[in-house]
Amino acid sequence: MNHKYHGETAEEKEIESWKKKLVWGWILVIPIILFMYILPFIFRIMILSEELMIWVSLVFAFPVMFVVGFSTLKSGFRGFTSFYFNMDSLIALGTVVAYFTGVGTLFFELQNYSGISAMIMIIFVTGKYIESKARGRAGQEIRKLLELGAKNARILRGKKEIEIPISEVKIGDVMIVKPGEKIPTDGTITKGESSVDESMVTGESLPVDKTKGSSVIGATINQDGVLYVKATKVGSDTFLAHIIDLVEEAQGSKVPIQKLADKITNIFVPSVLGLSVLTFIGWSIFGDFSSAFGASIAVLVISCPCALGLATPIALTVGSGMGAKRGILIRRGEAIQTMKNIKVVMFDKTGTITKGKPEVTNIEVSKGIKEKDFFEIAGSLEKLSEHPLSKNYTNLKSHKEVKSFKVLRGRGIEGTISNKKYIIGNKRLMEENKIKIKDFIKRIENLEGEGKTVMLLALEKDKKVLGLIAVADSVKEDSLKALNYLHKKGYYTVMITGDNERTAQAIAKEVGIKKVIANVLPEDKSEKVKELQAKNGENVAFVGDGINDAPALKQANVGIAMGTGTDIAIEAGDIVLTKGSLVGVCEAIELSKATFSKIKQNLFWAFAYNIVAIPLAVAGFLHPVIAEIAMALSSITVVGNANLLRRRKI
Amino acid sequence: MKKKITVEGMHCASCATNIERSLKKISGVESAKVSMMTRKAIIEADEKVTDEELKKAVARAGYKAISIE
Repeated sequence: MNHKYHGETAEEKEIESWKKKLVWGWILVIPIILFMYILPFIFRIMILSEELMIWVSLVFAFPVMFVVGFSTLKSGFRGFTSFYFNMDSLIALGTVVAYFTGVGTLFFELQNYSGISAMIMIIFVTGKYIESKARGRAGQEIRKLLELGAKNARILRGKKEIEIPISEVKIGDVMIVKPGEKIPTDGTITKGESSVDESMVTGESLPVDKTKGSSVIGATINQDGVLYVKATKVGSDTFLAHIIDLVEEAQGSKVPIQKLADKITNIFVPSVLGLSVLTFIGWSIFGDFSSAFGASIAVLVISCPCALGLATPIALTVGSGMGAKRGILIRRGEAIQTMKNIKVVMFDKTGTITKGKPEVTNIEVSKGIKEKDFFEIAGSLEKLSEHPLSKNYTNLKSHKEVKSFKVLRGRGIEGTISNKKYIIGNKRLMEENKIKIKDFIKRIENLEGEGKTVMLLALEKDKKVLGLIAVADSVKEDSLKALNYLHKKGYYTVMITGDNERTAQAIAKEVGIKKVIANVLPEDKSEKVKELQAKNGENVAFVGDGINDAPALKQANVGIAMGTGTDIAIEAGDIVLTKGSLVGVCEAIELSKATFSKIKQNLFWAFAYNIVAIPLAVAGFLHPVIAEIAMALSSITVVGNANLLRRRKI
Repeated sequence: MKKKITVEGMHCASCATNIERSLKKISGVESAKVSMMTRKAIIEADEKVTDEELKKAVARAGYKAISIE
């Protein structure tokens, strides 16, 4: 994958080429304006005879038309043979017809528009130059993202450090990254400690501490210490490459509101060509040839498919660029439009509202049971489990051999140690196995009331509880802030979890969520979204981790996938948040709404412009030069207006 | 199969729609999205569509495909 061009980007090349045309064009056009307009009409000085003036305009306009305007004419007239018309076709036809009226005046009684042709061309070029610069500004964040990747890497070959281009780094290479340098590609730290600034990729503003074993993202900046990083992903597999793909894909995605504009853009140029022919015929019959040329040229050059066609994509580009900077990746343009209808926001609990890193808070052993035995049995069983709750008590004690180990989905686990069958799990599992838990109920309820999840360890044969383990998954620092914001804005919030009702309620209370749907198996989450949609209408957003919640994210009207660092499932969700904070959800909502309202403004403006301007041109009210100025301004306005989105505080 | 085509010479909104139209004419191309902002076309097509056909389609609309990945 190569996002860099040699020397300059395609964008800079385009701007540069317009600029060159602009300078030469104006140098040639100024004498035309001076001799044909300023001197005779303003100062009443006629230094040239009428016939000489025709020749002057033909000669000076020639290079503007056929040198400066060469690529426009070429691309425009190509449309007449291939039937792929673009806006150059309008300009090309308009200016060439105008130019040849100058030749015509040598033989017939006709107004000379050849000077006008050069003026139209130069205004067109000037407009394109300003527009391409503004377009460049609109895409600046995204371009920065494309250019973010490191160019070289310093790697360890044997004992020697050598510097190689990034494209030659292979998986397994150990890269040496000094303070202040970019980490070349995704990897794992094998030696060293440092804090890393990941803001450019994840939007997370605080540096993240890294030590041996931590994974790091390519293109982020190492701040303090020297790091030895083993490359784990290269080329198009890296986190940055995925983000770039996603952003590029989103650029081409459609927002439903633009459908009409797109349909019109598709038939716009041929329709305008037809209209201009009709205008010419009409004026030839009811007026004279000079007015017929003037009006039909004005029709050609005033009509601008660009304002219509650019209205949506340009605003989407600015919006998604602003998002990318903040760690909000808009995957589908449609989400921007749907977002304004959202009334209900449904959150997954674990890893979304909470940190997703449960910690053991209480261990209580039943009377008559040795603590050492309890730890050993619980530790050995849990070590085999992949359930997130098990992760931090595997370090409890040494491990015994476990036979016939089984995971009981949504309930717990079981296994046999020294020929005795043990079970660890929730209340439901105990009840199913007829374990006597009466003495523990009160304690369990208390712990659950504190937002903790309680697991019991029991010996299957005696139906006796050996003890309990309580774990708590604490709420992320800014979850409360984010939810307060959503409530203030009038959103109805719902939390969904596989956890028990009481624990879920405790967490919900902590962050102010009113409605809780507990005891839901992972595969049933999308069903619950559907139920909510049936009840509340198609206005449900789902916020989840993207890995377990993929079906729910898909079912929701807007799916927002959350992740931290590289742990994001980019394929899921309409919007992906790269930093783990829920504040990102609020920002994504605000950004979508702001972007969508810009799109609406732009479309309104583009439609209004064409609806008003074209009839005026048909009626012959607009001089071709005025028409061309209006056209140039219309597309500059659309792009400029989109750039104003950046002023919005998100 | 998803492919990304970098296109040169796009400078207006109707350019993007022209390229889209031309790419969609190839049999086997299910979708084509062209962005003049990124100068890229992203297409979804079945395996039998060749890069040559894609290049030709872009050229037919009057533009140049610089790279296909």
